[in-house]
Amino acid sequence: MNMLTLFIFIPALFGLLILVLPDNLKQTFKYITLAATLIQLALGIYLYLNFKTGAEFAGINHEQQFQFVQKLPWISLNLGNAGRMQVDYFVGIDGISVLMLVMTAVVMVIAVLASWEIKRNLKGFFALFLMLDMAVAGVFCALDFFLFYLFYELMLLPLYFLIGMWGGVRREYAAIKFFLYTLFGSVFMLLIMVGLYLSVTDPGTGNHTFNLISMMNPANYSEGSVFSLTSHQMLFGIPARVLGFTVIFIAFAIKVPVVPLHTWLPDAHVEAPTPVSIILAGVLLKVGGYGIIRICMGIFPEVAMSGAFWLGLLGVISIIYGALNALAQRDLKRLIAYSSVSHMGFVLLGLASLTAEGVSGAMMQMVSHGFLSSMLFFLVGIIYERVHDRDIYNFRGLATTMPQYTTFVMIAFFASLGLPGFSAFVAEAFTLAGTFKSELVPHWMAVCGSVGILLSAAYFLWTLQRMFFGKELLKGGESWKQSLTGLKVREKLALFPLAVLALALGVMPSLVFGKINDSVLALIEFTKQVVR
Amino acid sequence: MPQLLPNISALLNNVTDSLDMFRPELCLIVLFLLVMACDLIYASNKGRACRMLTCAGLLLVLVANWGEYIETDDNVLFLFNGSLILHHSNIVLKMIIDAVAFAIVLFFPWDDQLRKHGKGMGDAYTIITASVLGLHVMVMSSTLLTIFLSVEMVSIASYLLVAYRTESGFSAEAGLKYVLFGMAASAVMLYGISLFYGLSGTLNLFDGNLITHLQQADTAMVTLAVVLILAGIGFKLSVVPLHFWVPDVYQGAATPVTAYLSILPKIAGFGLLVTFLTPFIADPAWKQVDYVTLLSVAGIITMIAGNFAAVWQQNVKRLLAYSGIGHTGFALMAVVTFSAQGIKALNFYLAVYAVANLGTLMLASYFANTMKAENLDDYKGLGFKYPVASVCFVILLISLTGIPVSAGFNAKVIVFSAVYEVYQQGHNVMLLTLLMTGAVTTVVSLFYYLKIPLYLFLKKQESEIHEYPSYKKLLVMVVILSALIILLGIFPDLLANLM
Repeated sequence: MNMLTLFIFIPALFGLLILVLPDNLKQTFKYITLAATLIQLALGIYLYLNFKTGAEFAGINHEQQFQFVQKLPWISLNLGNAGRMQVDYFVGIDGISVLMLVMTAVVMVIAVLASWEIKRNLKGFFALFLMLDMAVAGVFCALDFFLFYLFYELMLLPLYFLIGMWGGVRREYAAIKFFLYTLFGSVFMLLIMVGLYLSVTDPGTGNHTFNLISMMNPANYSEGSVFSLTSHQMLFGIPARVLGFTVIFIAFAIKVPVVPLHTWLPDAHVEAPTPVSIILAGVLLKVGGYGIIRICMGIFPEVAMSGAFWLGLLGVISIIYGALNALAQRDLKRLIAYSSVSHMGFVLLGLASLTAEGVSGAMMQMVSHGFLSSMLFFLVGIIYERVHDRDIYNFRGLATTMPQYTTFVMIAFFASLGLPGFSAFVAEAFTLAGTFKSELVPHWMAVCGSVGILLSAAYFLWTLQRMFFGKELLKGGESWKQSLTGLKVREKLALFPLAVLALALGVMPSLVFGKINDSVLALIEFTKQVVR
Repeated sequence: MPQLLPNISALLNNVTDSLDMFRPELCLIVLFLLVMACDLIYASNKGRACRMLTCAGLLLVLVANWGEYIETDDNVLFLFNGSLILHHSNIVLKMIIDAVAFAIVLFFPWDDQLRKHGKGMGDAYTIITASVLGLHVMVMSSTLLTIFLSVEMVSIASYLLVAYRTESGFSAEAGLKYVLFGMAASAVMLYGISLFYGLSGTLNLFDGNLITHLQQADTAMVTLAVVLILAGIGFKLSVVPLHFWVPDVYQGAATPVTAYLSILPKIAGFGLLVTFLTPFIADPAWKQVDYVTLLSVAGIITMIAGNFAAVWQQNVKRLLAYSGIGHTGFALMAVVTFSAQGIKALNFYLAVYAVANLGTLMLASYFANTMKAENLDDYKGLGFKYPVASVCFVILLISLTGIPVSAGFNAKVIVFSAVYEVYQQGHNVMLLTLLMTGAVTTVVSLFYYLKIPLYLFLKKQESEIHEYPSYKKLLVMVVILSALIILLGIFPDLLANLM
């Protein structure tokens, strides 16, 4: 059995188990889900440890360099004189995806631990949760565009219900807004996908193919096809490849989210229940970043290079705009949601630089933000679960009431604002270094990035001061004080590993860089090759 | 007359030879008579015997069609001196029609409104059998005469079915509206046919001189004739602006009849449209009427109007009616390609649409039976009460929207790629605009399709409502259809390779 296939479909298996179990066993559902995610985590660690490094395992545009590959023929449609439509079940990982998988596995475990607060309709919740888990794992492994798209869209439906059924007051609005935004992006991506499919032929069989790696090789595009590098076709007066890049970029930019396509995020994150917020911030935003690397930059590298300035500009705008918005929030969850926008801006800035440092920094930022945002949302969930309020001004002096909780909050805040020694610092430092070094983006963007870090220090520290320091003063008075009990074992079990991971990646960034370096170098080299 | 005499034996021979490939239709004729007789003899058991007979007969017809399917292979046959045309794609459509008719006949007594009807259901089965014959002929027509005859045959059957249950003013109004508009559309079509005959000098669409004669005629007149004929077909397909009857009639008719109307005449109509256009497309010299632009514009308008109008609907059947208009527009996109791949895509799209639409209407009937729920508001919180039915509803709606993993998504991808393929050869901007419209309206359609899950699962039920007994069999059928949709979502080649 292929490891990746197991990794993807273990959640589905357990999800089916939950569906067939009778309702009176509903207290066991969370343990079943936890078991599924723990098995996934074990598989993830196995993948991480057995992932071979070196230039001959870099992946990117060489099919034989991918690891844990499984390729099975899946759909074969006879289209008459147009040949056959060939879709493969094709999964495999390289340096870009391996850490995404490990991070997903960790975040999923944390999300299950946060699901203890879910009280209604447990069967539905955990079944949808596991379906989402499967889809996310599939997205990071798929190397066939059709398969990728299938998993990508499969994420939407469970999320719609998870937000819509277990969310906060404005859940209906948030759920539909999220769904429409994402579908708007992905439907147009579908058009480009079909166009790419008809432009690319498999050199082996001569059929059109959805193979992502074949799509990266300019030689595979048939003469005169829409997306061929040499034929310079126009669509609506825009060069076809630029249009293709832009459309797919918009689809993923909605996911990242990049300002001005971010407006679904504050609603979705705030209305979603804690476990779903954790998955949204921790994993789903990275699907956007991953997609930009694998598909936008992989298939249209020359457009990515010529448009680097605009990508960088969008990244900088996200950083500053997200941070300024975070400063203005009263709702703690909303503040963290906007801080996500700001932090994900670094990913885009790093990618735009197209330097080894910048791209590595972007990858590191995705991993680091995955852990840190999970931690932050988990922390908000703890306080919301106890008093059903998260307005910053309704709390004061929490440090005396909940000292342990405050310790974890301080670790998460300081790590997020980029204190040296934590993962975010490494990520942001590399991103900025790459931006300075790059000839594609101007230096002032790096300066703006640093201003963003400064702003993030401002809103995190200000929040820390407002909520946790000073004399104890709670809006709900004595009853709140009774409710605000110390951390439970389960909560500590979730928070401690995240804190350790944030520190470990800060002290030993080689844990990440060691695995991704060859792939990042190969990506940069590949981009230069195509442009030449 | 004297000069025709030597040909008579040859003509007769042709007729007798054609009978061999007319087996499914002969079966239908016999079945029609049997069902009618059965209804007279077993009038007391409310048509149960008729229903069994009809179902068994339709399965037999399906098998007969399957035999033709294997026999015909890639050949094109003309039957009855060129009155009918038979080829691979026609037979596929006939088989889809038979299968759907079978399911609809099963569905008939599972709807409370129809079941309680005093007249019993024997007549309905007779009418349906006759209409299936009409639909078969409609798909195979290759002369203007057979086109008109078959369209009328289907129309009259549809009028009867729509007006079958007229105890409420609304459905009576719907029935009358349908008859009036339908008659007008037929008249328009007939006028077009007579003009067309006058200009071309032949009734046979596959006559070698057709194009030459039309090219000699006045372009404006030819255009008028063609547009009038297309209007008649478009009425059946519910193409905007000939869709105005759809919402009222779909809402007013009994749900199984709505299922019938929204699937069968539409599929046959597309078959007819393709046959009618074939001679013009096949001849590169034809320049008088630009079908690509004409149909593209119609498709774009239909997609936009249908999908946007659906957003404001509160009644579930009305919502599905507008969404059906949108689907017509999307299917027109496949027609516009005029390629073998496009026709395959069209057939697959229609088959998938049929399954999903039938399933959703069955569920509309299910909720109307059990909770008297007809508007979205009545659906509040029912998802927790009827989890199986509601989950199936979500699956079917996902397929209609075209989101993976569902058959509808694959159908959409196949249509898109057929259009793209043709675009790559000709670079016609119309095709690109069609693709864009298809994508945008998908997002719009999500908005209204999702309203049903929204009310089922996300809204809370406000008060306890009286519950009526539910039909287990209906639910089983819906589960089968939903499973089929997912199966075809994962392995579309199972069906698509047969198209």
